[in-house]
Amino acid sequence: MDEKKKELQEKNRKQQLLVTLLPFAALILLFVILCIVIQTKGYRLPMYLKIIFNEGVVLAIVATGATFIYTLGSFDISLGASTLFAATMGVMTYNATNSMPAMLGAIFLTAVGCSLLSSVLASVFHIPVFVTTVAMMSVLSAVSAQIITVNGGALGGISIPSAAVAPYDNMAFKITVLVLFFALCLFLFNFTKIGRRQKFLGGNPVCAKLTGIDMNKYAIIAFLIAGTGVAIGAFLTLVYTPSVTTGTAGSIGMNILVAIVFGGMPISGGPRSRIYAAVTGGFSYIILNNILKILIDSNAGYGISQIISAVFFLAVVYVTSMNYRSAYLPR
Amino acid sequence: MKKFLKMMMSLSLAFALAACGSSTPATSGDSGSTAAQPAAVSGKTVKIGVLVADVSGEEALGFRSYFENYIANNYNAEFTYTEQLTDAAGEKAAIEKFAAQGYDAIISMSDSDRATQLQTSIDNGLYYAVASGMLADEQFEQYKSNEYFVGQVGPSMDAEYEAGYEMGKYFADKGVKKVALYGAFIPNPMHVYRAAGVLAGIGATYGGASEKDAVVGQIFGDQGIDIKKVETGDVELVGYFQGFGDTTFDELFACIGAQPEAFLSVGMATTFFTQNLNDAGIEFSDIDSFTEANGEAMKNGKLVYLAGKYSSSIGPVFAAIMNAVNGTPVRDADGNAISLSQDYLVATDAASFEKYATADKGDTPIFSKDVLDTMIGAVSYDDFATAVAANRG
Amino acid sequence: MNQTMTTNRKIRGALSIPVLTGIILTVLCAVNGKAMIANKTGFNFFVLYTAIVMLTTMALSINLNSGRFDFSLGSIAVLASVLSCRITFALLHGGTGSAVLMLVLNIVIGAAIGLASGMIYVTLRIPPIITSLGVTLVLEGITFTITEGKYVMNEVRNASMSAFAGNWIWSALLIAAVLAFMIWIFDHTEFGYNYAALKSNQKVAVNTGIDEVKNAVICYAICGGLMGIVGFLQAARSTSINGGALNFGSIAIMFTAFLPMFIGCYIGKYCNEKIGFLLAALCMSMLNSTFAAFSNEISAFMQSIINAVLLVVFLIYLSNEDLLKRLLRPSAERG
Repeated sequence: MDEKKKELQEKNRKQQLLVTLLPFAALILLFVILCIVIQTKGYRLPMYLKIIFNEGVVLAIVATGATFIYTLGSFDISLGASTLFAATMGVMTYNATNSMPAMLGAIFLTAVGCSLLSSVLASVFHIPVFVTTVAMMSVLSAVSAQIITVNGGALGGISIPSAAVAPYDNMAFKITVLVLFFALCLFLFNFTKIGRRQKFLGGNPVCAKLTGIDMNKYAIIAFLIAGTGVAIGAFLTLVYTPSVTTGTAGSIGMNILVAIVFGGMPISGGPRSRIYAAVTGGFSYIILNNILKILIDSNAGYGISQIISAVFFLAVVYVTSMNYRSAYLPR
Repeated sequence: MKKFLKMMMSLSLAFALAACGSSTPATSGDSGSTAAQPAAVSGKTVKIGVLVADVSGEEALGFRSYFENYIANNYNAEFTYTEQLTDAAGEKAAIEKFAAQGYDAIISMSDSDRATQLQTSIDNGLYYAVASGMLADEQFEQYKSNEYFVGQVGPSMDAEYEAGYEMGKYFADKGVKKVALYGAFIPNPMHVYRAAGVLAGIGATYGGASEKDAVVGQIFGDQGIDIKKVETGDVELVGYFQGFGDTTFDELFACIGAQPEAFLSVGMATTFFTQNLNDAGIEFSDIDSFTEANGEAMKNGKLVYLAGKYSSSIGPVFAAIMNAVNGTPVRDADGNAISLSQDYLVATDAASFEKYATADKGDTPIFSKDVLDTMIGAVSYDDFATAVAANRG
Repeated sequence: MNQTMTTNRKIRGALSIPVLTGIILTVLCAVNGKAMIANKTGFNFFVLYTAIVMLTTMALSINLNSGRFDFSLGSIAVLASVLSCRITFALLHGGTGSAVLMLVLNIVIGAAIGLASGMIYVTLRIPPIITSLGVTLVLEGITFTITEGKYVMNEVRNASMSAFAGNWIWSALLIAAVLAFMIWIFDHTEFGYNYAALKSNQKVAVNTGIDEVKNAVICYAICGGLMGIVGFLQAARSTSINGGALNFGSIAIMFTAFLPMFIGCYIGKYCNEKIGFLLAALCMSMLNSTFAAFSNEISAFMQSIINAVLLVVFLIYLSNEDLLKRLLRPSAERG
C-alpha cells in the first residue's frame, strides 16, 4: 500500500515538474522554431530577434507587474489604457517642460495614480475591482483620445523629439530595465511576506482574512506594483516610438491575460501563481505570432493565423493546467 | 545532444548579436541589398513592403489588388502587406521586419507616425514612399533631401479640403436649401479637412471664420462640428453627426427627421447609410472610391455625387519606388523628393461613374503598364509630374 | 425575490429606477428644447436597441452569475449573423421571408456556436475566462476568413430586413418571446432549478447529483442563441455587419452590458430578474436616445466617461445600500 502511495507521489511529483517546466520548454521550442524558420527563409536572425524583443518587452514588464493583481485572484483590464494614458501625460509634460525627469515623473505619477485609484475605489466602496477597472479603461481611453486628438491636430498623434529618448533605444538599456524590474518583482514575490500573503489571499481569502491579513492593504500594494510596471512600460513605449496615438498600447490589456496564462499561471491566482509566467508567456505568445505571420501570408491569412494561435494557446493552457484540475468545473 | 547544444549555442550567439547590434542599414547587410546595386541591373525581383492601417475597406482592397494582381504580373516586383497597423510601434516593427527580410522599399498607407516610419526606413536603408495622405509640411521639409525618401503622391490635405468644397458647392449650385452633414471619423485629419471644405462649399462660416486653417483648427479643437457655431448662407445645415456607435442611427434619423434635401458625407456613407437614405428618399453624396457598392448606390439608389479615388491612383508611387531602387531616382531641381497631390475624380451620375470605373478595371487600369513605362527609367521630375496630372481617367 | 414584500412595494421598487431615469432624461431634453425620441422611426430603433441591450445583458448574466466570464459574446453574434445572412441570401436572394429565415438561422447557428464553446470548456476543464479568450480569437478568425475582413452589406440589405427594423412591433414581440422563454427555462424547469442550485453553491449542488457539465453546456448554448438574435438585430439596425474585427475587437459589446446587468440585478430584488433586465435595458435605451439628442454637446468620449461614472456610482450605491440607508434614516428612528 505504501509502495503504491509512494509511486503515486512520485508520479505526481513528475507531473508537477513537467507542468512547471512546460512553459519554459514551450518558450525554448518556439524560439528554436522561430530561428529555424528565419534561417530557412534567409532573413537576418539577429535583427529579427531584436525586433521580437522590442515587441515583447513592454508586454512582459506590464504583465509581470500585473501578476501581483492576478495572484490575488483579481483582474485588471485597464492596464493597456493606463499605459496609453501614462505615455500621453509623459509626452504632454515633456513638451511643456523639455525635461526628461519631469516626463518620467509624470509617467510614474499617472500610472501609479491610476492604479491606486482603481484599488482604493474598490477597497473604500466595497465594489468588485474588476468593475472599477472596466470603468477606468473607458475613462482613461476617452481622456487620452481627447488629449491626443486635440493636441495632435493634423498629425493625428502627439510626440516628443526622437533625440530625447534616442539614448535609451538600445537593447542593453531595455534588457537591464527588464532584468531589474523582474528581479525586484521576483524578490517581492518569492522572498517577502508580500508575495506569500498575496498567494495566500488568492488561494483562500476567507482563511487569510481570519489569520489577520488585510486584503485591502495587499490589494493596494499589488496595484502599486502593477502601476510601476505600467509606468516602465509606458516609458519604454515612448523610447521605441516617441509618439502616442489613440491606438498606442491598444493590444496590451488583453495580451496581459494571454501572457500570464500562457506562462502557466492559473488565472484564479493563489499559491500556484508564478512570477516568471508573464515573461515566459509574453515572449512565447509574441514568438508564436511571429512564426505564424512569417509562415502564413495573405489577406485571409490574418484570420487563419489568429485561429492557429488561439488553438495553440488553448492547448498550452490545457497542458499547463493539468495539475490543478478539480472534480468541479473551474470558474 | 551535442548537436542540440551546438544549435542552442549558435542561437544564443544570434541573440547576443541582436542584443549588441545596432540598426545597420540594409546596404551593409547580408541580405543582398538594394540600394547598392540597381535591381534592373541585377535582374532581381524588387521586394516592396506595404504598411496598411486598413486591411478590409474596399478602397484598400482595390489598391491591394492593383499592386498584387496587375503590377506584380507586369513588373519584376513583389508586394507584401502588413497586418492591420494600429499604432506607431506596429509600424516601426513592420518596417524593421521588412528590413530583416531583405526588402528594398516601403510604401506607406498607414499614418500613425509618418516621421518614425521614415526615420526607421532611412536607418535600415529602405526606400520609402507615401501612397495615402501626405506628410505634414515640417516633416516633408525635414526629410525631403534624404536619398531614401522617394516621395509622396496622393491627395494632400488641400486636396481633401477641395474635395469637400466641391461637394458642398455642387449642392449649393444645384439650389438645395437644406442639407445634413456626416463628419465620418472626425478628428481624423482627412475628414476634418473634407468637412471644413464642405462648410465652405455651402457658403457657411464656422465660429465666425471662413479661412481654411482657422476652420480646420476650430474643428480639431471642438473634436467635431458644433452646429451652433455654423452660420449658413443660402444653404441651411439642419443636422450634423459623426462617428459610428450606439447612437449613430438615432442621430441619422434625427437628421432625416429635419427633412434635408441632401445628405452630405465626408466618408463611409454608402457603407453605413445607403439603405436608410434610399428608403427616406434623400439624395446623398460621399467621398470614397469607385467601388461596386458605390456603383450600385449611384445606379439604383440615391447617391448622386461621389468624389472618389481609383485603384491604380497609387501607380505613380510604384514607379517612383522602381526608379529609386534602379538608381534613377526622380528628384526635383533641388534634389528633393517627389511631392505631388492627386485630386479626386467626381461622378455625378451612373454614366460618369461607369466611365471612371471602366477606365480603371483590373486588366486595364488608368495607370497601366504603358503609362507606367513612361514614368519608369530616366524621367525628369516635370515629366513625372505631367504624367501624374495627365492620367486621371 | 423577497416573498414577504408587499405587491405595492414590489411595483414601486421595480419601477423606481426606470421611471426616475425616464423623468430625469425627459426633463433634461425638454429643458434644452430637445426630444428624447424624435419621431416614429426613432421609436422603432429605440425598441430595437432595448431588445439588443436586454438580450446581451441576459446572455452575459447567465454565465457571469455562475462565475463564468465569457469574452466571446460579441464574436458569437457576428459569426452567427455572417453565416446566417450568407445562407439566407443564397436561398432567398433577399426576397420575402429573408428576415424570418435569417433570424431562425441566427438562433440555430448562435446556439450551435455556444454549444461548441461550452463543449470546449467542459472538455478542457480550464477556467471559462481562458476558454473564452481562445474561443473569441478563433471565432473572430473564422469571421475574418469568411468575409475577408470586409463589411457584409448586400446580404442584409433587403425589403424584408427593412420591414423588420421599420416596425417596433417585431422587436417588441421578440422581447416578449425571449422574456417568456427565459422565465420559463430558468424558473420553471429542472434545468433552471439545477442552474440556481449550482449558482448558489457549486459543491453542494454537484454532491447532490446535479449534472454540472450538462447544465453548463446548456447555459452556453442558450447564451449562443441569445447572441445569435443580437447579431440579427444588430444587422437589421446597422444594415451591415463588420467582418473585420480581430485581436479581441469584438469584445466591446460585453462591456456595454455591465451597467444594465447590475441595474437588472438590483431591480430583480423586487420582481423577476429577467424583467429586471428588460427594465434596465429600457433605462439604457433612454440614456442612449438622450445621448443621441445631445450628440452636439456630448461627444463619444464624454459618453464613455458618463457611462463609466454611472457604472461606478451605481455599484457604490449597490454595495453600500444598507450603510446609506442607515445614514439617511432620521436620527430619531435610529435612536
